Amino acid sequence: MKTEKIYSAGIDIGTSTTKMVVSSFLLKNVAGVTHVPRIEIIEKTVLHQSPIIKTPFINKEIIDMEKIEQFIFQQYQLAQIAPADIATGAIIITGESATKENASEVVHAIADTAGHFLVATAGPDLEGIIAAKGAGTLQQSKNTAKVIANIDIGGGTANIAVMQYGEVIGTCTLHVGGRLIEFQNGIVQSISPPIMKLMKKWSKPLKVGDAAEDVRVTQLIQEMADIVAMTLSGQLTDEQHPLLLGHLPTWNKPVEAVVFSGGVAACIYEQECTNRQYDDIGEKLATYLLQHEQLQSFLWLKPEETARATVTGAGTQTTEISGATIQVDAEILPLKNVPVFDCHLDTNSQEFDYAVKTAVERADALFSIQENRSPFALYFSQLPYLSFQDVRALCEAILKHLATISSKELPIIIVIQSDYAKVIGQTLQAINQTVPIICIDQIKVETGDYIDIGEVLPSGVVPVVVKTLAFHSK
Amino acid sequence: MNEQLVSMITQLVIDKMGNQTPDEQSHDTAVPPEDQKEILIKLQAKETSVADIVAIPSATEWSNEPLIKLYHSESHNHEQSYYSASNDEPTDTMAPITTFKFEEDEVSESVQAAKKHTPARIGVGRAGTRPKTKTWLKFRLDHAAAVDAVYGEVTEGLLQKLDVFQVTTRVTDKEEYITRPDLGRRLSAESKTLIQSKCAKNPKVQIIISNGLSASAIEENVQDVYLALQQSLNNLNIEIGTTFYIDKGRVALMDEIGELLQAEVIVYLIGERPGLVSAESMSAYICYQPRIGTVEADRMVVSNIHKGGIPPLEAGAYLGTVVQKILHYKASGVGLVAKEG
Repeated sequence: MKTEKIYSAGIDIGTSTTKMVVSSFLLKNVAGVTHVPRIEIIEKTVLHQSPIIKTPFINKEIIDMEKIEQFIFQQYQLAQIAPADIATGAIIITGESATKENASEVVHAIADTAGHFLVATAGPDLEGIIAAKGAGTLQQSKNTAKVIANIDIGGGTANIAVMQYGEVIGTCTLHVGGRLIEFQNGIVQSISPPIMKLMKKWSKPLKVGDAAEDVRVTQLIQEMADIVAMTLSGQLTDEQHPLLLGHLPTWNKPVEAVVFSGGVAACIYEQECTNRQYDDIGEKLATYLLQHEQLQSFLWLKPEETARATVTGAGTQTTEISGATIQVDAEILPLKNVPVFDCHLDTNSQEFDYAVKTAVERADALFSIQENRSPFALYFSQLPYLSFQDVRALCEAILKHLATISSKELPIIIVIQSDYAKVIGQTLQAINQTVPIICIDQIKVETGDYIDIGEVLPSGVVPVVVKTLAFHSK
Repeated sequence: MNEQLVSMITQLVIDKMGNQTPDEQSHDTAVPPEDQKEILIKLQAKETSVADIVAIPSATEWSNEPLIKLYHSESHNHEQSYYSASNDEPTDTMAPITTFKFEEDEVSESVQAAKKHTPARIGVGRAGTRPKTKTWLKFRLDHAAAVDAVYGEVTEGLLQKLDVFQVTTRVTDKEEYITRPDLGRRLSAESKTLIQSKCAKNPKVQIIISNGLSASAIEENVQDVYLALQQSLNNLNIEIGTTFYIDKGRVALMDEIGELLQAEVIVYLIGERPGLVSAESMSAYICYQPRIGTVEADRMVVSNIHKGGIPPLEAGAYLGTVVQKILHYKASGVGLVAKEG
C-alpha cells in the first residue's frame, strides 16, 4: 500500500535551554479495502536532534530572537532539510521563558520564517502533556492499568501530567526547577520571585550574595521536593501556596507510578549529569527527589527521553491527522491560530438555527477585535445521529448566519468530532457554491483551544495541531 | 409475524431486567415447583437448536407466560425451598418477596477500558460453564434480529419516499433465494421489460437498491446514503440514471442490469448478511461497466455502512468521490488500483 512521508520540526524554548528535533512521519491508509479510508501516522522517526543550548537572552526580560533563528537554520542544515519541506510541527515556549516580554512575538516570527509548520504556544498544562508524550509516558500508560504521573522538571517549572489507559486525567504545575536559585563563584546570584514569596514567612530569608553552601538553600530544595511529593500524594490543597502555578491538581485518582523528565531528570536517571553545565540547584534537587521518603512509596518508571522530552513531544506528538473524508478549500490553507467555539446541539431540528445563531454571536463577541471580525472555528462535539434532513437544516442554519459575513480571509471553518465532515461540507456547497469552506472532522478540541490547520496532503487529509491557550501571565 | 413476536418478547424480558419492575409477581409463587421444572427442561431443549440460523424459534413456546416469569420466580423459588425446608408453612405468609433483579455488573476498570475498543461480548462473566442469563438473552435478541433482517421485507412506504419502482429476480420465495444464489443474479422476464421501458439508457451512473440478505439494513440506511450520494454526484455534475429497487437480488445481478442499460458505473446498495453485532449493515458495490461475465476483481465495495459503522451520510458523500475517480480512470477494483499507480 502507498505511504506518504512528511517532515515535522519541534522547537522548545525553555527557561534555561533551547533545543530542536527534526523528524519524519509516515502516513498510510490503515482502513481495510472495503472501508472508507482512514489515514494515520504509522511511523515516526527522529532524523536529527540538536545539541541543547542555553536559551539566549538580550537582557533579563527579552529573548534574543535572532540567535534562536540562527540556531534553527543551522540545525536545518545539519539535518539536510530545507525549511520549506517542513509540513508540520510545533514551536513551544515553556517555563519562565513564556513570561518574557517578547515571548509571543518570538514564536510567531519564527513560525513564519522557519518553515511551513504550525505553531503551538503552550500553556503550562499543555506543556506537561507534551512532555509526557515525548517521554513516552503516555504510551507506557496504555500498557498498564496504573495511574502514572509524568513530572517534567526543567529550569523554571515542574509540569505534572497524570494519565491512565493512555488518557490524561489531570495536570498541575509547580514552581520547582533547577534554575530558581542560581550561583556564581560560590555565592547566590539570583533567586526567582516565587522562591522569594515562599520565604516571606521566614525570619531570615536567603538573599543574593549569601553563600551557595548556606543551609537555607538546602532548606528550600527540601521544600521543593516536599511540595512535589505532596502534590503527587494528593495532599496539596492550599490554592495560595507560593510554589503552585495556576490551578490545584485536577486528577482524582491516587497516583501509583512516577516518571521524571526534563533537564533535572537527566540527573535522576543518569548517575553523572555533567551535561548540565549550570551553576544552580538542579543537581541537588535531583538528589533530594531521589532520596525523598514519601516519593519512595511510588513505583518509579523510566522515561524514554529526559532533557529532550518536551521537544520530542513538540516535534512528534502534537500533530493530528484529520479524518479522510473532509471538505476543504485548499487555497485558504494553511490557517494558523484559529480559536475554537463549541456549538452545542440537540436533536430537535428546529433548534439548529437558534444554536448556531447564539454560537456565532457569542464567538464573534469573544474573538472580534473592535469591529474587525476574525476567523473562528465552529466546533460540533457530540453531534447526535443526523438524518439527511437534519444535516440540511443544520447547513442552512450555518449558512444563514455565516455566509454573508464570510470571505476568502474569513472562511467558514467547521470542526466536527464525529465522522460527518464530508456530508456537511458537500451540503454547504450544494446550497451555496461560492462560499469558502473548511470542514474537517475526527478532531477533539474544546472552547478556548486554538487550532492550526496545515496544507492538504496528497492523500487528501490535513495535519492539525490543537493548542490550549497561549501565554500565562506573570 | 413470528419473528417480531420473538424479538418483542425477548426485549420485554430484557427491559424487565433493566428496570426491575416494582410490582410483585404474587401469582408466580402460586405455580407449583413441579410445573416450573418442566418448563426449565423445555427451555434447555430449546437452547440446543439456537445455532441453526434458519430455524425460527417457535413463537408459541416463547409466548408461554410461565416461561418468561420463570426468571422472576427462579429466585423466589430458592427462598421458597429454603423456607419450606425449615418450616412447612405456606409461602404466602412469608416476609415480603423481593422482586427479581439481576446482579450488578462488576467489571474491573481495565475490562471497561477494553470494552471501549470492541463491540464483542467480552467481560460478561459466566455461570458455571454457561453464559449468564442476561448475556444469553442479549445473544438471543441479537440472533433474532439477524433472523428478522433476513426474512423481513422493505416497506412500501420507504420505496414511495425514495420514488423508486420495484422489480424482481427469478427467485420466487426466501427459501429459494437462500438456496439458489444463481437465480438471484438474474432478472425475471417481466422485470427486464419494465426496466427497459422505465429507465434512462446509457446512464453515467445507475443506482440500484436491493434488500439482499438484510431488509433492515435498507430500511435503516438507504435513505440517508441515497440522498447524500445524490447530492454529492449533483455537486460533481455527474448525471444519474433512473434508480429502482430489486426484491431479493444478489450482488452479481448488476452485470445483467449494466448490460441491459449500458451503464457506465453502477452503484448497488444492498443489505449485508447480518451478524450478531449489527443486523442493519449495508454495502455499496461499485463497478465500472459491469456486463455479463464481469469478474469479481473489478467490483469495489464500501461495507459496514450503519449507525455503528460508517455513518450512512458520510458513506453517501464519500461514494460520490469514488464514482468520480472511477469515471476519471475508466476502471474499478483491481484495475483502478493498477491505473492509479
